[in-house]
Amino acid sequence: MIKIEELSKFYGKKQVLNTINLEFKKGKIYGIVGENGAGKTTLFRCISGLENYKGNISSDYTKLKDHLGLLLTEPYFFSKITGKEYIQLLANARQTELTNIEDKNIFDLPLNQYASTYSTGMKKKLALTAILLQENNIFILDEPFNGVDIQSNLIITDLIKRFKKLEKTVIISSHIFSTLAETCDEIYLMKNGEIIKKVDQADFNNLEKEMKKFTIGNRIDKLELK
Amino acid sequence: MKEYFQLQFKMLNRKMIDFGMPLLIGYILLPFIFILLSNYLFEKTEFANYAYGLLAISFVSKLSEPKRNDFLKSIFNKDKYRKLRITENLIYCLPFTLYLIYQKQFIFSTILNLCIIFITLFNFSTNLNVTIPTPFNKKPFEFTVGFRKTFFIFPIAYFLTYISVSVGNFNLGVFSMLLIGLTCFSYYSKIENEYFVWNYNLSSKDFLIEKTKTCLIYFTILSLPVIITLSISFFKEIDILIIFILLCYAYLTAIVLAKYSSFPNEMNISQGILIAISFMFPPILLVFIPLFYSQSVKKLNTVLQ
Repeated sequence: MIKIEELSKFYGKKQVLNTINLEFKKGKIYGIVGENGAGKTTLFRCISGLENYKGNISSDYTKLKDHLGLLLTEPYFFSKITGKEYIQLLANARQTELTNIEDKNIFDLPLNQYASTYSTGMKKKLALTAILLQENNIFILDEPFNGVDIQSNLIITDLIKRFKKLEKTVIISSHIFSTLAETCDEIYLMKNGEIIKKVDQADFNNLEKEMKKFTIGNRIDKLELK
Repeated sequence: MKEYFQLQFKMLNRKMIDFGMPLLIGYILLPFIFILLSNYLFEKTEFANYAYGLLAISFVSKLSEPKRNDFLKSIFNKDKYRKLRITENLIYCLPFTLYLIYQKQFIFSTILNLCIIFITLFNFSTNLNVTIPTPFNKKPFEFTVGFRKTFFIFPIAYFLTYISVSVGNFNLGVFSMLLIGLTCFSYYSKIENEYFVWNYNLSSKDFLIEKTKTCLIYFTILSLPVIITLSISFFKEIDILIIFILLCYAYLTAIVLAKYSSFPNEMNISQGILIAISFMFPPILLVFIPLFYSQSVKKLNTVLQ
């Protein structure tokens, strides 16, 4: 379980997270939605310990980050590291023994090629494979479906469902609502660094309608398109 | 086009500021160092103009990177793009041109500038799709990346060792060790993205020990052919060889620790100066290594604790 209490984050004078209180339980899948710049990635970075913050983040673990698999929106790759070496590097970091990496290559990636030459979607799949093989108990997946092909999309969706069965905690941010609705137990809506709404599975359909109304409004009319 | 060059100028200034160098000092220091190194090269060898030409071309060819130029092509039309590429290549080459003119190498400077204009016609890919094998698969990162970028240095170093034995010149053998040491030293000049440090489930101290241990083991692997050859062929000089190896270990330890002393930022000018001082006076490493270590532990604690 992860418990977030009164979490706030400032970049200089700008407040990007405003007194957030959340609880992520074991064996549950959580979705975080919100516009670009709403504070989703900053929230993830705070949970991971990559950012300083005001407030309190506690968990069942002494060191949460050592049990956390973090998938960044834009995974970073070195110029001359192969896919296989990238997986090995991340496994070594967690002292995880890896055998037969090729057999666990569920996305059929060209593991002996330099990862920096991969396409956006392939990079995402490689980064995801690497954190899966770290044997984490908690996963934070920031935009896991971005740039990923439809087949892999299906695999990731199924993978998230499998995590639930394995009692792992997963927090996902995504702009693809249908996938979130299919996998999540709860969805939180973020705006300007605040959690403005919590939605349970039963209300997912209403949330999408509400979000459309709330987000789109009369914005497009302002363009006066002809 | 004017805006493009203004932007390049701004980017250069930002790079200097990020490096911790005040602009005024940077603009005085950089030409000074450039002239100093150029003088040194021209004093040392009669083939300096050729080496100088190659240096200039390799420096300017960095502007021929395909992704960069595809981006420029997408925003400028064909004529403007060509003009822009020729102008920026000539600007980058200007210090070399001016120095060659100062050396009265008029024909050579003209040929160099023609070559520089000619290479605007090409995009050089820096990413070949060939994976170079390395002996560092078990713990990939600095040595894997570095080895792939500098693999050609090692046959040269081993060949120099062979020559040193053939002609009975121990100093040449030590030079080949130095070449390997400096090459490995360069692998630690850039800091990795904080994500890769964050992933470690080690304390800052253990992380630094692990990194240093890996560095020293891999350096030993690469220099082992030289060490064995020299210790057999120049047994009388083994004490000097051992001191030299220990010095290499000390400098490599210093660079590993210095790398993380500004984490998550790149090494800044102060660390650069300290490293430069240590090259002039090696015993000062006994002060600098603990200093870099304590700074690194403090910085790494932000993500590892």
